[in-house]
Amino acid sequence: MEKGVNRMEELNSKFEKLIKKQAKYESSVLGLNLLISRLQKKYAANQTPEELKNCLQEMESFLKKYNSIVKKDIEALKNL
Amino acid sequence: MFVNLEQAIQLIEEGKILHIAADESLLAQLPKGKWIAGTTPYFITEQGGITSKDKLFVDEISCAIDYKTVVYNKDNIFDITKDAYPNGITFLIMPFASDVAVFYAKEAPYSDDLLMNPTIGWISGFDLSTDSRAKVYDGISGASYWDKAVALHICLPDDEIASLGIINIFNIDENDTKIEFMEDSLSVTKCLVNGKEVIFSDYILENNIDTKLPLIADYNSVLVNVSIKSVSKENSTVDFYAPVFAGKEYHFARPISDYAESFHERLQEFHDFKPIFSCNCVLNYLYGKLDNKATPPFAGPVTFGEIAYILLNQTLVYAEIVNK
Repeated sequence: MEKGVNRMEELNSKFEKLIKKQAKYESSVLGLNLLISRLQKKYAANQTPEELKNCLQEMESFLKKYNSIVKKDIEALKNL
Repeated sequence: MFVNLEQAIQLIEEGKILHIAADESLLAQLPKGKWIAGTTPYFITEQGGITSKDKLFVDEISCAIDYKTVVYNKDNIFDITKDAYPNGITFLIMPFASDVAVFYAKEAPYSDDLLMNPTIGWISGFDLSTDSRAKVYDGISGASYWDKAVALHICLPDDEIASLGIINIFNIDENDTKIEFMEDSLSVTKCLVNGKEVIFSDYILENNIDTKLPLIADYNSVLVNVSIKSVSKENSTVDFYAPVFAGKEYHFARPISDYAESFHERLQEFHDFKPIFSCNCVLNYLYGKLDNKATPPFAGPVTFGEIAYILLNQTLVYAEIVNK
């Protein structure tokens, strides 16, 4: 359980960089690219911890739902 | 599949779940059943592009374990995400220039839930040599609409999932002139060209820009086209087929000499691909002279706008079902 929590925290720190445009990642999955673009725009317009949390939750929900088609992306995002 | 009226009726009477595209004269003759449809007389079939009022393009949605059709207007179009099955795909058809299509085009990029539900579809159209009106049909009720959208929500088995993709043959050079807009709009007067405010119509006319080339914005490597509908020197306006958005950087697409060849090159990686649906833009069909030219493995209606979550222009969109 703790391992799973740490893994998510580790991924969230990568997503945070992505959402803040401090890192770049291009997927081959259309929906993921559109989501990254949307979250970057959403956060840029309201740079608060609360908005960042919302963005991270959205990213996590997407990757959880589409886990089977974004497995490669999750592995790549770990190395961001 | 590209079928005649009798064949389409037979598929409906067999109880198949269908997505249909055809001229209004054919759609009006279909019996009630498990289908939705939109109007267009233009198609790219497996044999090539064709204008036809004698045949219908039918996609059988055989992967469905359940389905429902829902009609939406401007006020409830984003209920589409609430109505979608938790694991499914939604086919959405909206009439060209309808309020619901315009609203969806402007608001979809801001929808919190849209990307959580694969939504694919198109803007229905009409024979451009006539003054017909675009329509959509709900096969369950048999009703047709020129001012409403119709959706076919499909529920997929637990071991399958829908994936959407696009093929955009256009490209940009990021060093080219940067164009930005001050507001989200389908019609603009002013814009910023490399940071300097100008009248966009003057800029286009003075620089002899080919308006068959779309404006393109980069959405994290997804190139999203906005096609130019008209340029009015008199009114100093430029109208678009999809909205431009404030805060995005746009570039005019690089010219393409042979659309069919460009598609051919881009489609090489799709040899063993089995899409359950695809459609391509009427501007690609017309500007690219795609009559008699096929885009395998993609075949489907030629449309007045394409939907892959958001509204797109001059783009081929497709859906596939993959194992989890």
